[in-house]
Order: sequence, then structure tokens, then C-alpha cells
Amino acid sequence: MPEKKELELNPVFSVSEYIEFLNIGLKKFGAAKITGEVSSVKMGPTGHVYFAVKDKSGNALVNCIIWRNNYNLCGVKIEIGQELIMNGCPDIYAPRGTLSFKAKTIELKGEGALKKAYDELKNKLTEEGLFKEEKKRAIPNFPEKIGVITSKQGAVIHDFLNNLGKYGFKTKMIDARVEGQEAVKEILNAIKSFENKDIEVLAIMRGGGSLESMMPFNNEVLVRAIVDFPVPVIVGVGHDKDISLIALAADAMVSTPTAVANLLNQSWDQAILLLERRERYIIDNYEEIVTDASLILEQSLRTIYEIKDLIFEKYRKIDTNTRIAFQNFAYCLQKTEINLKSLWSKSIVLKFESFISTVSQKIENITKIIFFNNPERQLKLGYSIARFNGKIVKSVGSVSTGGDLDIRLVDGLIVSKIKKINKIK
Amino acid sequence: MTKEDVSTQNLTKNLKQLSEITTWFDNQEEVDIEEGLKKVKQAAELIKTSRKRLQSIENEFEEIKKDIDGESKE
Repeated sequence: MPEKKELELNPVFSVSEYIEFLNIGLKKFGAAKITGEVSSVKMGPTGHVYFAVKDKSGNALVNCIIWRNNYNLCGVKIEIGQELIMNGCPDIYAPRGTLSFKAKTIELKGEGALKKAYDELKNKLTEEGLFKEEKKRAIPNFPEKIGVITSKQGAVIHDFLNNLGKYGFKTKMIDARVEGQEAVKEILNAIKSFENKDIEVLAIMRGGGSLESMMPFNNEVLVRAIVDFPVPVIVGVGHDKDISLIALAADAMVSTPTAVANLLNQSWDQAILLLERRERYIIDNYEEIVTDASLILEQSLRTIYEIKDLIFEKYRKIDTNTRIAFQNFAYCLQKTEINLKSLWSKSIVLKFESFISTVSQKIENITKIIFFNNPERQLKLGYSIARFNGKIVKSVGSVSTGGDLDIRLVDGLIVSKIKKINKIK
Repeated sequence: MTKEDVSTQNLTKNLKQLSEITTWFDNQEEVDIEEGLKKVKQAAELIKTSRKRLQSIENEFEEIKKDIDGESKE
């Protein structure tokens, strides 16, 4: 084993052990960024790319290999004559004993090349329709759960958070490099990670920069990942002349983190405005209703007071009339009583008393008449009644001598004989 | 004349009889002492009952008057 042999003073390696020993050293110490011009290129059957780069002078050449995954991620189509910058480390392929530079990332070198690659990819994706407006999804209203991909270094995330409104946003951030070819991998991983998270909007942000520094944001894999992302994506990437392709692919693009925050705030801000307007509207309407109600109430009260006054007036009239009627009735009663008393005392009593008096007087008169006419009264006074042949003797001419003369006294009858008659002249 | 209860005797009828008796006396040219005495007795009886009846009526009237006057004072 190499480790054990390192400890020995004069180790003897087998070839494979030695190559393994060298590869460990190369991996540890040979990692570098190199640049050169592509002199040959060959696509392997499994998708890995084998190519060679040389100095412009042509004095030095190194064989290179980039595995399929990394090649697909880098967004560069390797062609002979291109100047590349590669990041990786050397490695000896044991079966052949050849040394190759294993590139992890590659990128084009030079403004022209970068622009050309940008234009070509832009045209290709445009033809595919990835940037079409009708493909854009609307940023949901009142978003709460926000996914953020940016570097935690720098001012971007601070600008974003400082400008995000106090609307109860729940922000999840994944830190990712936003410059250099490593950025593609990290941003892609972050996107993949967010695919399984509960978010409503994804925001990818970075500040502005040169075309070269922006190249990760012109990466085809990232563009497709954004197009296929399950929720709307906002890209807030500063740019000078050329808009980054992921910005074109995004559902909404702005150029600053503040603008991303404003876009997320927008529906909330509008809702607040709408609420304020509605509140004003409700208050105005309510005030109007209250005013109307007050007017109606006042009118109703006036009407009620008027009706009340009318009722009370009527009541007063009825009361007065009733009192008058009662007084009249009482007066009538009094009068009737007086009349009755008068009738009783003056008419009935007096008349009846008078009647009694009259009757009494009459009885007394009759009594007197009877008294005076009572024959016994005369007899008691010494007078007597003489009858001749049954008839009362009022004259001597009605009797004859020798006849019987009956004399009635008060206490008896004297039967006598007439002896002599003397007529008084 | 049969004796009747004073309360049921008719004063008007008595007075009428008494009036007839007095008329009888007024119309007599020749006094029939016997008849006159009868009439006197009849009249005396009528006067007596009439007085009683009148007294009874007066009493009754006083009661009514008292009653009526008492009610009106109340």
C-alpha cells in the first residue's frame, strides 16, 4: 500500500501502485485553473468529452477530459480553435499511462466568444419558445412563502430583505455562488432543492457585472430548470447590455434585489391601498348612512312630536269635553235632585198636606154639619118633636082636638091627647 | 156599616158617603128624626173611621217624607 510504502525508506512500487501514488499527489497538488486553445475534440459514446488544449505558440499541449455531467452543466460546446478556461486537476489513466487534465468546469475565454455563445444560445432557446410571453406565469397575489437563491455575501440579500414589506413573508434562502462556473452547479442544486419545498415564488438574485461574470446566468441547464420550475420564478439580475438568459426565461425579471422585493410587495401594497380605499369608502358610506339615518330619525322624531302634540291636543279636548260633560251631567243631576226635592217638598208634600188638610177640614165640616143636624142635640137642649098621626107637627092646623099627639123627648116618648088648640096670632 | 180594617178603608168612599149624608140633611124639609139619627150615627162612624184613616195616611206620609228627606240629606 502506498501509505505504508511512504514510511519505508526505499519503497518499491508496482506500476499501478505508483500511478495511484502519483494520482493522490496530483489531486492534492495539481488542482489548477488553466487556459489554452482547443486543438482536438472527440465526443465519447457515453457522453464524456475528450479534447486537447495547447498554448498559442504550439509548444505545449495537454490532453483533457470532462465528464458528461460537468460538460452538460458548463453550457459550452467545445470546438477546435476555442480558447477555454478550465478548472480541474490532472490524472494518470493507469491502463495507458497517459496524463489527462480532468476539467470540472470549462468556460469560454474572450468577450467575442462569450458574446457569440450567448447569441447562439439565445437564438436557440428563443426558437424553442422558452422566452415566449405566453409561457410566463403570473406572480401570485399575496405571496407568503418565498424561496431565495443568492449569495449571502454582499449587499444583495440585505437590499432584498430591507425592501421586503412587513407582510408576514416566510423567506427561505439557499446560499449559492453567483459568479464563476461553480455558480451553475450551486444554483442548480439550490433550484432542485427548492423544487421539493413549500414555496409560492422563487427569486434568484445577483448584482450586475460583465458578460463574462454573468455567464453562469446564461447557462442552458439553468434556463431549462427555471422554465420547468413548479412555481413562478423571479430573476433579479443586474445587466449592462445583454439581459441574462435565465432572466429572459423567468416569469418576471427585474434588475435589482430591491425591485424583486417591490414586485413581491406589489399585490400586498395594492391590497393595502385597496383596503384603505375600501375603508374610506365604507367609512364615507357609513357616515352617509348615519347622516341619512340621523335625518330620518330627526324627521321621525319631529313627526312623532307632532303626532304626540296632536294626540295630546285631542286628549286635552276630549278631557275638557268630558269634564264639561261630567259637570253638565252633575249639574243635571243636581238640578234633577233640586227639582225632585222641590217637586217633593213643594208639590207633593205641600199638595198632599193641603189635601190632607182639605180632607180633614171637610171631615170637620161634615162633623159640624152632622153635629148641628143631629136631632138628639135639639132634644138634649129641651126641645121635643111632636108627631100627629106619624107626621111631625109644625103647625096647630095640622092637629085636631082629641087626637093623639106623640111627643119625642131626648130620653123617651110621651103619648098624649090633644085637649085644646090655641093658635097664636 | 161593618167594621173594617182602617188601613183598607177607602177614605174617598167615606167622604163621598159623608157628603151624601150632609146633602141628605140639606135636602130634608121635614126632619125625620129617626132617619136623621141613623144618618148621624152612620156619619159619626164614617167620621171616626175617616179620621183614623186620615191619621194613618198622615203617619204613613210622614214616614215617607222622613225617608225621602233623610235620603236627600245623605
